[in-house]
Amino acid sequence: MIEFDRVSRRYGDLDALRNLNLSLARGEMAFLTGHSGAGKSTLLRLLLLLDRPTGGEIRVNGERTASIPARSVPSYRRRFGVVFQEHRLLFDRSVHDNVALPLVMAGFSPRDSARRVRAALDKVGLLGSEGANPAILSGGERQRVGIARAVVARPEFLIADEPTGNLDPQLSAEIMGLFEAFNQVGVTVLVATHDLPLISRMRHRIITLNAGFLAGTAMT
Amino acid sequence: MFSGRESATERWGPFAAWRAQHRIAAASSWHRLLSRPGSTCLIWLVVAISLALPGALLLTLDSVHRVTTDFDRGVQLSVMLETDATLADVETIQSAITAWPEIDRVAFLHRDAALSQFAEQTGLSSVLLSLNRNTLPHTLLVAPVMPMPQQTFSGLVAKLADLSGVGRVVANTRWMARLEQVLQAGWRWAWALGIAMVCGAILVLVNTLYLDVDARKEEIRVVSLIGGSPAFVRRPFLYSGLYFGAGGGVLATIGLWAFTAWVAGPVNALFLLYDQASPLSGSGATYPIAMVSLGATVGWLAALFATQRYITRLNDN
Repeated sequence: MIEFDRVSRRYGDLDALRNLNLSLARGEMAFLTGHSGAGKSTLLRLLLLLDRPTGGEIRVNGERTASIPARSVPSYRRRFGVVFQEHRLLFDRSVHDNVALPLVMAGFSPRDSARRVRAALDKVGLLGSEGANPAILSGGERQRVGIARAVVARPEFLIADEPTGNLDPQLSAEIMGLFEAFNQVGVTVLVATHDLPLISRMRHRIITLNAGFLAGTAMT
Repeated sequence: MFSGRESATERWGPFAAWRAQHRIAAASSWHRLLSRPGSTCLIWLVVAISLALPGALLLTLDSVHRVTTDFDRGVQLSVMLETDATLADVETIQSAITAWPEIDRVAFLHRDAALSQFAEQTGLSSVLLSLNRNTLPHTLLVAPVMPMPQQTFSGLVAKLADLSGVGRVVANTRWMARLEQVLQAGWRWAWALGIAMVCGAILVLVNTLYLDVDARKEEIRVVSLIGGSPAFVRRPFLYSGLYFGAGGGVLATIGLWAFTAWVAGPVNALFLLYDQASPLSGSGATYPIAMVSLGATVGWLAALFATQRYITRLNDN
């Protein structure tokens, strides 16, 4: 359960988020949308403790994020799987090693780690590319590697920031389908996107932000 | 895989996980170093020179100091008695000073024996024989307990000179005092040079590692974003620093060994001319251990400093 309780974030004279009230139930999947500068990225940054709110509080499973000390931030972040628009893979290592990174941090044995990496890559349809360098993969394939990395350690939450931003409609639909599949096995999913035509076809809540305010929340 | 159940045996314990993370970081840093042999060798050389130069100086001073301790052991005072002193006077003085705690041993040199020794050593026997009387006094050759502080030594000389029946005490120790001062100055100079050069090595390593960190900033950002702790982020860089420093220490040890082998011949021959033991006969295990561990510590500290600065800046942004 993720709750935003009258959350504000101000940068100088600019209000990136204003008095935002929002909650995401355990196991729910929702889309976060709005124009550029509406506050989507700020909301995700606050949720991942990359930034702190200037007002209000955020609670994750009832725990106030403001009370999490700096030394516990890494373990807090490991509860989230994060998918970026630019996939942010490391090109100095193989697909396998990229996906295995969260498992190394979490302390999985190499045998279990290898099994989980293969399972995650199988799920995103890239089992054959395990030993490849991500540099030789297409944009869609790289994004799927990014998703495999995000889910491999079985996080409670899956957060995606414009994951289909650079992909064609068909690939975008495939990526969204993957998020739905993870949601169906109990992962709470929040996807920030402005791909309205795509998300309007999916039966999930759409949270719309406008100039830092919650402009609306609706089921499609 | 996404059944939501996780068996307890799948995850390692904290210590095993920590060990595995170290193993991975150590291996990846080593491979990264080997993938850039040119720059790695240059850094090793910089560290090696910074450690070997003061190391060679300290080794030399150390060796010379050991030999001068032997010189100390040979220190002898010539206590010349008054010319009218009889053999009975000699015996009285000799038995008195033999009992002093600061005296190791006392030998008597009869004035006639002294004259013939002098005649022999100078080749002036015919001239000396032409003299109608022996003007040399009886002499006691006194060996003090060494090593002895300079002040105590001077006190002993004054105490001997004050004895009744003693004419003069000869102790040519000024050259020893000068050598001691030269050695003291040498030690300080070597330490100052050593500290300056080690600081230089740290700066070179900090700069190199900072560039390395900067080149891998995307990796650091991604790892931080997906839950890597600062220790996890730092670890590969700390290993790089450790390898740079320890590698430099190994090269410095080889350099020091080559230096010792090269200068040992003439230096040892010189000391043999003074009937002294060979000072440069190898440094044992102390110097290699010191070089490698100092290098490794310096490298590790430099990496810690470079990454800490970068991570703090990254978090501030």
